[in-house]
Amino acid sequence: MLSPLEETLLAVMMIVIMLGMGSSLTFKDFRLSLRSPQAVAVGFASQYLLMPLIAFLLARLLGLTGPQTVGLVLIGCMPGGTTSNIFAYFSKSLLSLSIIMTVCSTLAAIIMVPLLMEFYTSGVDDSLRIPPGEVIALLFVLLIPTLLGMWLRRKNANIGAVIELIGSLIGVFVIVFLVVTWAPRNWQLLLDTPWQVFFAVILVGLIGFAFGYVFARVLRLAPQKARTVSLETGIQNGPLAALIVTIAFSGELQQLVLLMPVLYSLFIVLNSTVVTLFYRRLTRREETARDQAKIEPN
Amino acid sequence: MSHDQVYDAAPWSAHYAEAHREPEARLVNAASLPELLSQAGEQWADKVAFTTCMPNGMAGRLTYRQVEDKSDAFAVWLRAGLKLEPGTRVAVQMPNCLTLPVVAFGVLKAGCVLVNVNPLYTRREMEHQFNDSGAEVLIIANLFADKAQDVVPNTPVRTVVLTHMAQWFPPVVKSVLHLVMKYWNRVLPKHSMDALDIESVINEGRKLRDSQNIKVEDYWQSLKRDDMAVLQYTGGTTGVSKGAVLTHGNLLSNLEQVDTLTGRHIASGEECILTALPMYHIFAFTVNLLAFYYSGAHNVLVPSPRPIKNCQRAFDNYPISWISGVNTLYNALLNEEWFTVYPPPNMKVALAGGTALHKAVAERWMSVVGKPISEGYGLTETSPVVCFNLIGTERPDSIGVPAPNTQVRLVDDEGQTVPLGEPGELVVKGPQVMTGYWNRPEETDKSIKDGWFYTGDVAVMEADGHFRIVDRKKDMVLVSGFNVYPNEVEDCIARLPQVQESAVIGIPDEQTGEAVKAFVVLREEGLSAQDVIAHCRKELAAYKVPKKVEFRDDLPKTPVGKVLRKELRDPSQTKA
Repeated sequence: MLSPLEETLLAVMMIVIMLGMGSSLTFKDFRLSLRSPQAVAVGFASQYLLMPLIAFLLARLLGLTGPQTVGLVLIGCMPGGTTSNIFAYFSKSLLSLSIIMTVCSTLAAIIMVPLLMEFYTSGVDDSLRIPPGEVIALLFVLLIPTLLGMWLRRKNANIGAVIELIGSLIGVFVIVFLVVTWAPRNWQLLLDTPWQVFFAVILVGLIGFAFGYVFARVLRLAPQKARTVSLETGIQNGPLAALIVTIAFSGELQQLVLLMPVLYSLFIVLNSTVVTLFYRRLTRREETARDQAKIEPN
Repeated sequence: MSHDQVYDAAPWSAHYAEAHREPEARLVNAASLPELLSQAGEQWADKVAFTTCMPNGMAGRLTYRQVEDKSDAFAVWLRAGLKLEPGTRVAVQMPNCLTLPVVAFGVLKAGCVLVNVNPLYTRREMEHQFNDSGAEVLIIANLFADKAQDVVPNTPVRTVVLTHMAQWFPPVVKSVLHLVMKYWNRVLPKHSMDALDIESVINEGRKLRDSQNIKVEDYWQSLKRDDMAVLQYTGGTTGVSKGAVLTHGNLLSNLEQVDTLTGRHIASGEECILTALPMYHIFAFTVNLLAFYYSGAHNVLVPSPRPIKNCQRAFDNYPISWISGVNTLYNALLNEEWFTVYPPPNMKVALAGGTALHKAVAERWMSVVGKPISEGYGLTETSPVVCFNLIGTERPDSIGVPAPNTQVRLVDDEGQTVPLGEPGELVVKGPQVMTGYWNRPEETDKSIKDGWFYTGDVAVMEADGHFRIVDRKKDMVLVSGFNVYPNEVEDCIARLPQVQESAVIGIPDEQTGEAVKAFVVLREEGLSAQDVIAHCRKELAAYKVPKKVEFRDDLPKTPVGKVLRKELRDPSQTKA
């Protein structure tokens, strides 16, 4: 996987990206998102009810091995990753809503992840707990740069907008970098992996997107909010899952379980990129249509 | 029997008293536009005059002092650098950006004639306008350099100056925007034209001014109110584009007229106006650019308000207190959650014109923003304001009362005034009416008779002098000798909840001469042509009911959002 230097570099870049994301936001944007708290609730439900179930059923359907099942369900139980915010930004969804959902689900992960793991893979391992320090670190990486970015934008719109551009450029760079460098370096791993595993890690994300969207629409969220929930649902915090696995397991078992979050993290970037391009077009079309429509009757 | 007296008694003047400015208030006091601009520049020197706000919030700004300095230098470059004679036409073609006020003011200060050109024009339209106006200099946004390159050799234009949408933004921001426009949006076309850069010509103007000790006032001090100031092209929606000759006096008079009745609502030096309408258009040119510059306002320019989300950061970042717009713009804003949940808290008055303001939009605006939209009526040929609603007493579906010192009559096809309450073509006489169409005496004679300008709009007057526009005369459909006003039929169709918008035209008909045809854009599926016709049967007299209904995905519109019925009438388009 990645060398320590690359990991540090990636972490720094994530901070710059979130700084950029924050610079695209105003406090009004957050207040607007909080006006529909049901969106947060819907996101929460789809994240912690739908995703674990989807992962569990997929594992059963594809006949995955024990360690693989644990890995996949763990992914299903993860909170939304910071990557979901980046894709929400690029897909012109509601970034502020996405960030709120990520923060909520990450906080809830401390309780929800062990609970859900216990439920779906009862007795597999007691140590599948989230280290609280990690959660705090995650929130720091997410929130501090975001707030700093927002503050900068408020102070000076020009500085904010430049940082936003830099952040989003680095975002694209990181995504491309991960996609391009990962496959060749892990070629052997990819060759050795059975097709069921590929299916599982690809489908868990895609089904997450689809169900998240449908679920949100059924609960009468507007399309743009539903797309935000969709991205939030499908994109899980893969690196966090990988971290938990390295803490909870050891030896060969660790490697077997770890395969799932690692492959998931790769494919989710590919999936999300495609979905993001699609959502972006939808948002643009809606904007133009709304622009020309007559006002809603009172 | 003549009904002249009905109109010439000016029943509307009774409303002026309550709206009039306090006697000590400052009215426009200048012999020419440059004098007015210089007064404002001096009075508000350190205030921010213009800010261009991009969709992502990036912004550049100029103070009144900077605008004066740059426009002075530009004037010197035109006169001393290019050796232009007074009265030479100079074309300016760009969306709203900081360069537009600088060069427009510079052209006027040089004693030259400003030719506003719509940046969305095609090559053919540009060529026509440059040739027709005889423009010798073109200042154009680099977004359209490719069009200029193709067109300029066939025209009298001998010098081209390019500007950037981010001109005079902070340098880093400008470079970033430049890169984004060039490589991400790919909107900067390649060209090999021999063109100058706006910054360099202004620097040259400064050098000339200092080395030759030029006083810019000398260029404009001899200008009189009768001198030509602007060639404003019109007719895009009706036929061949022609230039309305607007003098310094026309525009100053219109500013005075508006100032007399609305001035007391404008807190000099304190207002912030959002300019989302293009300033090459007469409405935003006179109202936003001239009137609010004169009032010391901070003018926030939005280069492109479509999609309307492009205006969001302008509302976020500036204390917008005035806005001018057309029906479609207000409609679009009211469809945005960020606007309806957080309506601009400092808003005082919204001004509407250009096309009929729908009652539904006006009412919703009032309930969302808590402040009225005041609708006015005007034309390019009248600089533009003819009528407007006095602020605080706005009436729905009304264009209000005529401006002070303006005579208005409603006449029939023979030019005879019609009785009170009956529809007739609106004709205007007043100091804001153009002197004529540039080099088109025949067209001028057709539209100005005995000093009355024929607007081609059909209106009705109420007993107290308020006017209501019924329709465009040329859009009227004649069914078996009966007049059908498309607006009425469109209003009727718009009441169907599934309908987004519609446009009605006349089509040739063997039995009735003309028949009504409706083009309908649906917001949701589930409405047939029969449904539309059945609905109209219930609400309208039989001859007004559309004979044909065609569903469309959208309607052709002008850049300011007026529906182009002309294009719908064009058979090559209607067959499709």
